Amino acid sequence: MRNLRLKNTSLRLLVLAGFAGLPLTFALGHEGHHAECNDTTINAVKADIQAMGEGEAKTAATKEVEAAQQLMAKNDVEGCKSHIHSAMEATEK
Amino acid sequence: MSDAGRRWALVAVALLVLIGAAAVGIYAGLYNIAADVPHTQPVYWLLETMRDRSIAARAREVVVPADLNDPTRISKGAGQYADMCSGCHLAPGMKRTEISQGLYPRAPELRRKTTLTPAEQFWVVKHGIKMTGMPAWGVTHDDDLLWDVVAFVRKLPELTKEQYETLVENAPKHEELMQKMEMGGEH
Repeated sequence: MRNLRLKNTSLRLLVLAGFAGLPLTFALGHEGHHAECNDTTINAVKADIQAMGEGEAKTAATKEVEAAQQLMAKNDVEGCKSHIHSAMEATEK
Repeated sequence: MSDAGRRWALVAVALLVLIGAAAVGIYAGLYNIAADVPHTQPVYWLLETMRDRSIAARAREVVVPADLNDPTRISKGAGQYADMCSGCHLAPGMKRTEISQGLYPRAPELRRKTTLTPAEQFWVVKHGIKMTGMPAWGVTHDDDLLWDVVAFVRKLPELTKEQYETLVENAPKHEELMQKMEMGGEH
């Protein structure tokens, strides 16, 4: 009986620990696309684009980063972030 | 002074003014060499073209060994690649490292297909490239070891994450190969 209670408690702790770790797992999952709207990030994406071979992905990434720059100039941070994110995705193709 | 003479004098003065302006720009530190600010497209094109032409011209003399597809060579190259190259050039299934994100120009991701020939790849690995972070591995490694790396790099775009990891796991250790090289034996 005592063993069973101990087993149940351990199981609960394990499940709790699993849930507690979830946000960290998601955060790590998005680490590769940490898109901030600033000059440093835009320059980093531009450097990535320069290293790409010619093709559709490079054209798409260039357009996205140009759009991000335009939105940054208009102080539209969320729009800028979204285009930076798309540019980052295109550089990985 | 004749018309032709006057024209030449004008060209010479214009050239001197251009050289003078360039010198003033250089000494004033006008060009930003920070690695987190990319070159303008014309400068990037100029440097990239100069790099590619320089490599192609020098790699013409390189004789490519016939056994680049030899599994032993590829296996020996895998261990060296994991130790010496993957930090910057990455590998299948590998996340971008801090150094790979900070290097400028970016180190090419070698899991993607390359336009370089085996001779050109060997030349780059052996001699390195100025102001890119690419070292001259020929200073410390003999040609045979460097060809192993080239053999592996040619194979890399075909590998899955699992195949890459298995190859690296079973590869002779880099230190062992270096020891054998230093003792002058076959490695």
